[in-house]
Amino acid sequence: MTNLTLWVLVFPLLGFILLGLFGKAMPRQAILTIAWGASGLALFFATIGFLSMMKTTPDAARISDQVIYSWVNSGTVATGVLSNNVPLNISFGLLLDPLSATMLMIVTGVGFLIHIYSAGYMEDDPGFWRFFAYMNFFIFAMALLVSADNFLFLLVGWALVGLASFLLIGFWFTRRSAVAAARKALVINIIGDFGLLLAIFLIFQNYHTLNYLSNSAGNGVFNQVTQGGVAVGITTAICLLLFVGCAAKSAQLPLYMWLPDAMEGPTPVSALIHAATMVTAGVYLVARANPLFQVSPDALIVVAIVGGATALFSATIALTQLDIKRVLAYSTISQLGYMFMAEGAQNYTAGVFHLTTHAYFKALLFLGAGSVIHALGGEQDMRQMGGLRHRLKITYWTFLIAALAISGIIPLAGFWSKDEIVGSLFARALNGGGTLFYVLWGVALLTAALTAFYMFRLVFGIFFGSYRGSGPRAHGHDDEELFEEEEHRGGHGGFYAIYESPSIMTVPLIILAVLSVIGGLVGSYALFGRPAVYPFGHFLAPLFTNNAWTNITVPEMPLSLGMSWISAGASLGLAGLGILVAWLRYRRGFEYKASRNPLYLLSFNKYYIDELCIAVIIKPLKWLGRTANSLLEGGVLDGGSRGIAWVASGVSSGLRRLQTGYMRNYALAILFGVVLLLIYYAVMRG
Amino acid sequence: MYNGIPVSWYLVVSAILFTLGVIGVLVRRNPLTIFMSIELMLNAVNLSLITFSTYLNSVDGQMFVFLVLTVAAAEVVVGLAIIVSIFRTRRNINVDEMNILRG
Amino acid sequence: MTASVPTLIEFFVLAVASVASGLGVILFKNAVHSALSLILTLLFLALFYLQLGAMFIAVVQILIYAGAIMVLFLFVVTMLASEDTGDVDVPDRRPWQRGIAIVLGFVLIGALSYLLISGASIDGAARTAGTNGLAENVASRGNAQTFGLALFHGFAFPFEVTSLLIIVALLGAMVLGRRSRAGGEHE
Repeated sequence: MTNLTLWVLVFPLLGFILLGLFGKAMPRQAILTIAWGASGLALFFATIGFLSMMKTTPDAARISDQVIYSWVNSGTVATGVLSNNVPLNISFGLLLDPLSATMLMIVTGVGFLIHIYSAGYMEDDPGFWRFFAYMNFFIFAMALLVSADNFLFLLVGWALVGLASFLLIGFWFTRRSAVAAARKALVINIIGDFGLLLAIFLIFQNYHTLNYLSNSAGNGVFNQVTQGGVAVGITTAICLLLFVGCAAKSAQLPLYMWLPDAMEGPTPVSALIHAATMVTAGVYLVARANPLFQVSPDALIVVAIVGGATALFSATIALTQLDIKRVLAYSTISQLGYMFMAEGAQNYTAGVFHLTTHAYFKALLFLGAGSVIHALGGEQDMRQMGGLRHRLKITYWTFLIAALAISGIIPLAGFWSKDEIVGSLFARALNGGGTLFYVLWGVALLTAALTAFYMFRLVFGIFFGSYRGSGPRAHGHDDEELFEEEEHRGGHGGFYAIYESPSIMTVPLIILAVLSVIGGLVGSYALFGRPAVYPFGHFLAPLFTNNAWTNITVPEMPLSLGMSWISAGASLGLAGLGILVAWLRYRRGFEYKASRNPLYLLSFNKYYIDELCIAVIIKPLKWLGRTANSLLEGGVLDGGSRGIAWVASGVSSGLRRLQTGYMRNYALAILFGVVLLLIYYAVMRG
Repeated sequence: MYNGIPVSWYLVVSAILFTLGVIGVLVRRNPLTIFMSIELMLNAVNLSLITFSTYLNSVDGQMFVFLVLTVAAAEVVVGLAIIVSIFRTRRNINVDEMNILRG
Repeated sequence: MTASVPTLIEFFVLAVASVASGLGVILFKNAVHSALSLILTLLFLALFYLQLGAMFIAVVQILIYAGAIMVLFLFVVTMLASEDTGDVDVPDRRPWQRGIAIVLGFVLIGALSYLLISGASIDGAARTAGTNGLAENVASRGNAQTFGLALFHGFAFPFEVTSLLIIVALLGAMVLGRRSRAGGEHE
């Protein structure tokens, strides 16, 4: 099996370096060649790896841990905290196994499509070269994250994607809101990094290695995890700390606040980073560390609860938002909650499966929204839209497909993955999960209804009804032609000045729509009475069962046919209900009525969480900073040094008076000294 | 020639003269008078040197005095020249007026 | 041996006289009077030297110190005195200095006296007897000859250096004393 993962990393990195150094002076064609070339080559090598893996038949052989560079090789570690001298060996290696191959395909595939799309979306932007440099950097960082074979380089990739996110959210850095959003994202992500770092320390302390699996560089963590090996309390702590990192990166409660604000960045960024790839790093990490989670049941429960709470919470916020990108952002948070719910129910495959299908339709939703925004010249408020399905046909159809997929309508991809999740919650509840998982199952179903409702509220609001806006915003020299056309055609303001996006943007939409339709084919066929047919499941299964990866087998909790139909039917029915309600309310288009309903206000204002954070955290911290500044910096440090200067100048001005200039005074001083000496001798000798 | 008077007596006289010279330096403002006080100090030391020469029965003390005498002469010459030249520029030789070097 | 009475009387008379004229040096307001007082003091000190047996030095003192140096002093004093110098008219800017000086003066005398009386005594064996001893030389050759022998035998080098010093002082005085054309001399 060929492990060419290194090249998946190298080309985007090269692209970033070239574009970063020289991009400003390059013509557009050159920039695109390098950017598309880099991400295209990354996709190419990822595909080769994936295909070669498919051809490797015994499942246990689908692992290639290539150690590329041995970085730290210190023989013995000084004893202290660690008993037995434990060598510290850290190497840079790349792991190619089903999970990392899946993630790489998603990252490079969706990444490549979005690179193509961005060429159209960002065409007028003066920072064109910078955008593609950062995008290539992101591809590199994310690929590093998912293909690293040890926790340290996972952390490196983790931090680098945080950096890429910061750079891209704050891409239009002249806007204060964008800079604030980028900073918010970075700060919250660093909280997660901190948790991850602590987890890594604990891992090293207890397992004496940072590699995932045993390879030429040393032992692996997951090969050492056994039931009752390391104390449960410690593994729970490790898992919870890992989950802190995941919660920050994947925008779960209570570290989700950065994601809606991250919509300040360009829409392709939202699509790639905050829908399809970066936010899924948390889900990836939990799946990767499943042996650790399996021996800490409490951690799994926490994961499930947080996932469920987040899913429901953000779905309720999405019900009332007016900015189309915000609706999608909260939708992303909600769907990530689903993935964590599944992983909490010990069905990691379901979580990863939903990750892949979600990548398709969420990227599609964002790109479609971007297409709408682009056609309207920058408008993002749903109140200024309506009836656009007549003007933006391709965008409309692909968006509709994605909305159906995310609502979980059969036979689109979203149905299969969401059904897997809901079914796994039900199965876990039936298999000893207790009331908790019944409750979570109910939460999942309710959220499915809400999801369908707010998605179709969005669809109807944008594409149905009559156009409420005033035409595309001014756009340079195109204005004269637009005005002439309007006058010529008459009609509704600038409605007929709205044109479908160029094909460079619509082709990726179509591709993603196709994926959203057929993506479910690799799912489980249990509903059709063939539970054994589950291509994706079989593909990932070795990670959870095979000795090469883990000593802890993740239990399979199959549902009987009846039960699975109950679960599927419930979610399907509720989704349909949600769509129906949305249709009844909004089919004539979206009319915004400010409501005084307290529930509405809670949802609309995002439960006032941001205000709460500002009051409880930010204001005290700022006060602390200011006080410390005036006290310590001003008082102690500045005051100290000024005080020393004051003392010195005081002493010197005092001593200066000795220099009277009068010779007689000097003579007196000399005499005084002599007398002192004599007295001393007199006393001494006497 | 040792004549029976305890050596400390001579030395006390020398000390008294020396102190008188010191006080003169400190109290007087006319630089010439200060100079004279310095000469008084020198002579007081000469006295103690001669005393020791006699009482230690060695000619070195007298030799020392001879040299001190010579040096004192040279010093007086140069010092007075300085005072005279100060006087030429300032028309006044009160030492209290000469305080340009004050800090 | 204890001193004979005439010697004691000599000593006390000379002591009182020299201290009195020393006081005169520092107390007279008029600089000329101070100079004359200093001449007196030098004279009495010369008598002291005679009493101690340093005849040559005594004579040299009178000739050089009182005769040459003080004359020089008097020249300058009288030359500058005509221009209304110093103490008479200008009020003292540091009146407290006098008080401190006197106090310190007493302390100094007290300390010195204490040290000298309690500490200073010449060991009898320090007096070297023999042909190299001063007293013996003086007795045989006379003080001047003894002095001359010591000067040109043992102290020849300092003698030469001193002559150099005198030349330098002479030159310095000539340079300092010259009237410059533009501006005055600066200190």
